[in-house]
Amino acid sequence: MPLIAVGVNHRTAAVDVRERLSVGPARMPETLEALCALDGIDGAAVLSTCNRVEVIVSTSREDVIEPIVGWLTTRAGTSRAELEKHVYILRHGDVLKHLFRVASGLDSMIVGEPQIAGQVRAAFLASRECGAMSSILSQIFDATMRVEKKVRTDTGIGELAVSVPYAAVELARKIFGDLHGLQVLLLGAGDMGELTAEHLSSFGLEQIFVANRSYDRAVELAERFQGQAVTFEGIEPYLATCDIVIASTAAPHFVIETGHVERALAARRKRNLFLIDLSVPRNIEPAIASIDGAYLYNIDDLQNVVESNRETRLHKAEEAEQIVDREVEAFRRRIAAQDAVPTIVELQQRIETIRATELEKCLRKFGPVSAEQRDAIEQLSTQMVNKILHYPILQLKEAEEPAERETLRKTIRKIFGLR
Amino acid sequence: MSPNLSLYAALALYAAGTIMALATLFTREKRPQHIALGMMIAGFVAHTVWISTICIRTHHPPLTNLPEAAGFMAWTVFAVELALFIRYRVHAAAFFVYPLVLMLLTVSAVVHEPFVRSPAAVSRLFITHIFLTTTGVAGLLIGLAFGALAWVQDRALKSKRHGALWDWIPSLNVCKTVSYRALSVGFSIYTLGILAGILWSYRTSAELMDLRVKQVGAVVAWVLFAIVLQAYVNDTYRTRRTAIIGACAFVAIVVAILGIHHA
Repeated sequence: MPLIAVGVNHRTAAVDVRERLSVGPARMPETLEALCALDGIDGAAVLSTCNRVEVIVSTSREDVIEPIVGWLTTRAGTSRAELEKHVYILRHGDVLKHLFRVASGLDSMIVGEPQIAGQVRAAFLASRECGAMSSILSQIFDATMRVEKKVRTDTGIGELAVSVPYAAVELARKIFGDLHGLQVLLLGAGDMGELTAEHLSSFGLEQIFVANRSYDRAVELAERFQGQAVTFEGIEPYLATCDIVIASTAAPHFVIETGHVERALAARRKRNLFLIDLSVPRNIEPAIASIDGAYLYNIDDLQNVVESNRETRLHKAEEAEQIVDREVEAFRRRIAAQDAVPTIVELQQRIETIRATELEKCLRKFGPVSAEQRDAIEQLSTQMVNKILHYPILQLKEAEEPAERETLRKTIRKIFGLR
Repeated sequence: MSPNLSLYAALALYAAGTIMALATLFTREKRPQHIALGMMIAGFVAHTVWISTICIRTHHPPLTNLPEAAGFMAWTVFAVELALFIRYRVHAAAFFVYPLVLMLLTVSAVVHEPFVRSPAAVSRLFITHIFLTTTGVAGLLIGLAFGALAWVQDRALKSKRHGALWDWIPSLNVCKTVSYRALSVGFSIYTLGILAGILWSYRTSAELMDLRVKQVGAVVAWVLFAIVLQAYVNDTYRTRRTAIIGACAFVAIVVAILGIHHA
């Protein structure tokens, strides 16, 4: 596979280097045009995200690396020696594996994060739109997207929450299933509480009620969530109607006590109540956790969920790496088989011509033969040819190393007198 | 084709599917779960063929003796499970339902009983009684399976420790809703089945019921399921007491099913 990738990522370069190299959507066409103008490049794609900038090119020449690094140096506005400290260069099969890993989130800062798949897709689509996509890049794009989907489906690597707000959403979904139509009570204006409410609100909540010591601040927050502000002293009736309660106040005492929740659960006909206490000191009495139908999680509980999910993601990443390795191998085989196609076709045509000519000669010598006899002889010669060609064709298709493939191809062409 | 061939094919596929599904408890991989489901569906097809051949051969529903009733119950349980899987994508129910289906069909394969051809045994009332009872029991068993899932999910959420089933179980609300609906529908049908059985018994032997294993087991199971259902209505289904009563109800229903053989 004639591929080269040159780039920097969050592990090799600090943000000040990455930002100088980054390519926004508006500048993508001119960037791709500039890359394709470099001598020896058949096709190019640029993956530019907040964590990485990579140039992927298809080429038949190794010496294109120099101009690409030179081009990046110009963009970075730094010395070549300085840039070379941060740049990594990948070749051929390594590019393929790298792309599969990147798209699957295995090379991301947060392992398994799903956004990168969309960014890889966007990079290749931009290349296609700008006419910078070569045949091999197109095949790699399709394979990358397929492998990314397979990794995520088979391992579920991106399904587990790795931040406190998402962990809260995940737990809410484990309790209620569909969050559509639920009501949330947000107590206080702590950052984490606000962020959790924001995440929850993207799942189609019916209403968010906001209570704060400062009513004006409650109104301000409620407007942001298109919710309703309530007075801090009047929250108890809302415990009976809301399904999720997020406490994130600076109060040094319990704001919600056992009696509140018992009365609320009785009024809500035992519908479950999910209480999230993000405050330190805690605002929700811990004894509430033992009441049937009430599920109480404090900040430590949520952190534990996040930690456990991170560990699980790492386990899943190991499975994902195996899938990537298998898929890289399968893709290499497919490409190798494709490389061999012209030789195989030529070989088959050559032998078929010989077979047909010799058969005609033979039949002329025989004199008149019946249609059945002719079919039988024809079948015999075809079967013989197929059997003889089977092994050379198989070898051509399955040769793993490019050098071995090339040697085989040359040998077969020489032996059978192919052009 | 011999009817037994499709029975053994179904049994083999169910066994393979069950083993593979249970193995995913340890591996936590999704792919084997999907393969297991595929095997169970293939088994279900063979199972359907087996039931159909019995219907064609005997000219009545396959409900007149223990192997037939157990086989039909297994078929109904899996059909309901499949419908629920399509609706809710509940993988975890497989850990309870697949072994149950396998167990019931094993009873069909192991126990040999002649087809009952007496007019009383193939009367419409008798068939109605067995059909309603079997269908009701299938609903109750599914209800118990989802009730167990709801209990496991509740414990996991309360203890804040995700067990082996965490990834496979749907939300608590889904488990509770499916369980309650399956129990209430199953209980209603099962009650009608028992009433039809009492009526049939009265018509054939002038007795409402006797104290043989299947009758006692069926009535005990009915009482226990009524208590479990009441727990759902009162929202006390999370308690240890309800879990124990549910387990006893399951045992009682198994005793009643096996009691058909010794009627």
